[in-house]
Amino acid sequence: MDTTLTEEEAMIRQSARRFLEAECNTRLVREMEKDPKGYPPELWRKAAELGWQGLALPEAYGGSDMPLVYLGLVLEEVGRALAPLPLHSTVVAALTLAAEGTEAQRAAVLPRTAAGETVLTFACYEQDPRLTLSGVQARAVADGDSFVLNGIKRFVDNFAAADFCLVACRTADATPGSDGLSLLLVDTRSEGISDNPLVTLAKDRQSEVTFRNVRVPKTNLVGTLHQAAPAIERMLDRATALLCAQMLGAARKDMEMAVEWAKYRKAFGQPIGAFQSLQHMAADMLIWIDGGNLLTYEALWKMDQGLPAAVEVSQAKAFCNEKCEAVVRYGQIIHGGIGFMQEFDLQLWFRRVTSWTMRFGTAYEHRARIARALLDVPGRVVLGQPLPTAG
Amino acid sequence: MDFGFTPEQEALRRDVQAFIAENLTPEVLAEMDGLSEGFGVRPGRARGGHVEKLFAKIGARGWLGISYPKEYGGRDGDRISQYIVEEEFARADIAVGLGGSGGPAILAAGTEEQKRHFVPKLISGEYSFALGFTEPHAGADLASLQCRAVRDGDEYVINGQKMYTSAAHVATHMYLMARTNPNVPKHRGISIFLFPMDTPGVTVRPLWTIQNDPRAPIGTTYGTPRTNETFFDDVRIPASALLGRENEGWKVGAMGLNLDRVGAARYLISVRRDEDIVNFTKSTRFDGYSPAQDPAIRDKIAELWIEAQVCRLMTMRSMSIVEHGGNFTYEGSAEKVWAPEHGVRTTEAIAQMLGPYGQLLNGSPAAVERGVFAHNLMGSFQSGINHGSVQVMHDQVARRGLDMPRS
Repeated sequence: MDTTLTEEEAMIRQSARRFLEAECNTRLVREMEKDPKGYPPELWRKAAELGWQGLALPEAYGGSDMPLVYLGLVLEEVGRALAPLPLHSTVVAALTLAAEGTEAQRAAVLPRTAAGETVLTFACYEQDPRLTLSGVQARAVADGDSFVLNGIKRFVDNFAAADFCLVACRTADATPGSDGLSLLLVDTRSEGISDNPLVTLAKDRQSEVTFRNVRVPKTNLVGTLHQAAPAIERMLDRATALLCAQMLGAARKDMEMAVEWAKYRKAFGQPIGAFQSLQHMAADMLIWIDGGNLLTYEALWKMDQGLPAAVEVSQAKAFCNEKCEAVVRYGQIIHGGIGFMQEFDLQLWFRRVTSWTMRFGTAYEHRARIARALLDVPGRVVLGQPLPTAG
Repeated sequence: MDFGFTPEQEALRRDVQAFIAENLTPEVLAEMDGLSEGFGVRPGRARGGHVEKLFAKIGARGWLGISYPKEYGGRDGDRISQYIVEEEFARADIAVGLGGSGGPAILAAGTEEQKRHFVPKLISGEYSFALGFTEPHAGADLASLQCRAVRDGDEYVINGQKMYTSAAHVATHMYLMARTNPNVPKHRGISIFLFPMDTPGVTVRPLWTIQNDPRAPIGTTYGTPRTNETFFDDVRIPASALLGRENEGWKVGAMGLNLDRVGAARYLISVRRDEDIVNFTKSTRFDGYSPAQDPAIRDKIAELWIEAQVCRLMTMRSMSIVEHGGNFTYEGSAEKVWAPEHGVRTTEAIAQMLGPYGQLLNGSPAAVERGVFAHNLMGSFQSGINHGSVQVMHDQVARRGLDMPRS
């Protein structure tokens, strides 16, 4: 048990911070809010030179085989800088391919991903705002050597920039012993796809994607036919925990800006940061971010060990959703009027963190999942020990 | 980062669990109930035959003072192992943890003679301290304390009054913070003294808390039925009772207090409550009503569980820092904000889940869990007051953690 960073962990974080401080200022962040693809290819290539896309991918496919905890540290810095990179969606899809894909699929996609030549994404959400697999209605029907995919996916990250999209779809009705879901690796340039960009709080690139009779080769089935629910859940858990890291990095930077402002801005003849009412707000911001960090890295660490981590992921996201939102709201309050002026940078952090609190499960959903694990399985619960499991 | 325990630590946990299952016989439990003082039963305080034997057995296993140096009665072990022992015994209402104002402070600042005299006996439970900090006119602003210690030859003469000396009626020794120089800035004229409670001139008077009538049942994790005020009238103690250097007591005291208010000691106050709320809810039905199926209660229970995890992880962080030989900058204070506030939210939420049952005290007909939830409700806010209030801790987080200016 040691919650402090190892030397190597501290180095990874430090080098990511230095790189983004040099390469990504808020002028770039603002530019990319208006860019159709939403990211600068040059920066994407430089990130690949640092090995970010392949950080947690197997060495055999050009990756570095590092733990998810390291990827979390990098995404924390990406969040801190609001770096407009499609890193989160790319690594989440790539990790799923690495874990569930065939040899041919991995060989075709992962080395190019690690080299920064490919952008990836994944599509689960449809109409249902919840992160639930019961919401998956898109249907793929076998026809010769392909599947024919029909359906509408929403809140798909970076679709315009992506070369491939992992699509969760229904290939059969659910029956006992079979969830009827499958995961397809879809070439985003396939015929029958239309991309309808959403206008979001974060001004990031999310899409509503319509698949109309899109033919996907059967060789692009990732994992087991009609049995993809566990693989999709693992993918969403990784996505959720890594987004927490990104959110926390951004929220911490927001707090630091608020504290700096409070030391600089004067009222009644002294810096407003000398007033205890503000100090106590700032102290809460720090405590909440630290709490979120501890929960998030415990979840990532458990995944790295191959331990069950669903409850830990939900703990982190439910907490981060509410506390990171409160942090950036406090950041705005401490800044007063200037904080919500368009030309003042603070709002860039506020809008993104706020948007991220709504992605990959609301606080209510995640708490419902925790409550199921705590209350619906017989046996005593013990803090710090694995929860009782069914059967 | 490493969020796991070593195989040796896991084995230690299983050993302690097996010991508890074997040794907490009905006779021991019955005796413990009569000895309850809040925070569970401690070694070195009023105890009967069965509990005394139990503590002797725990000591024989080498589970007390694992992380203390061998030469002073410890085992040169790691802090996490010590914590595991403390945690498992806390679940059984047995407090084996040693605070920071005591062993750690003496190891850090004491003379060789003091270390040899006190530390082994603190570990064995033969000695224990009452903490003499707060005064009638010095609480949050502790450094303004007035209790005087005047050097007279080879002795000091103590005069003054201490408030909320909770263990004074059972402790063997006083850990006293007193003023040795009134003519310098307040933090620079304070010293710490260690001396027996039965020194002539020491008078202990009980202060009964709201948890005394009826008496809080064992299993109450917050607060205590009794505290004390302690008076010092021309109490003469040898100069060797001074801990650390004269007038440098503030630093020694702050270090010890930091260890009192954070880490295992702080977290273990609430660990049982956090587990009980879940286990109680899932096993309880009132006629046809099952709280575990109530959507609002499910959401609240999950929220409190997440908060409890943050308490646990903040404790792990504090101990990680201690293990690395570091000092807290703000982390201890942060924990002393989060954990007490979580305790309050927990006990108040349980009250809203239980409705009218939540008001029933120990001994009442129809009381659930012997009224422990109602008694905790009277105690949980206390942990936001004692050992440095949540408000003072907020100040410290802002100033030490974020370098915010003083007003």
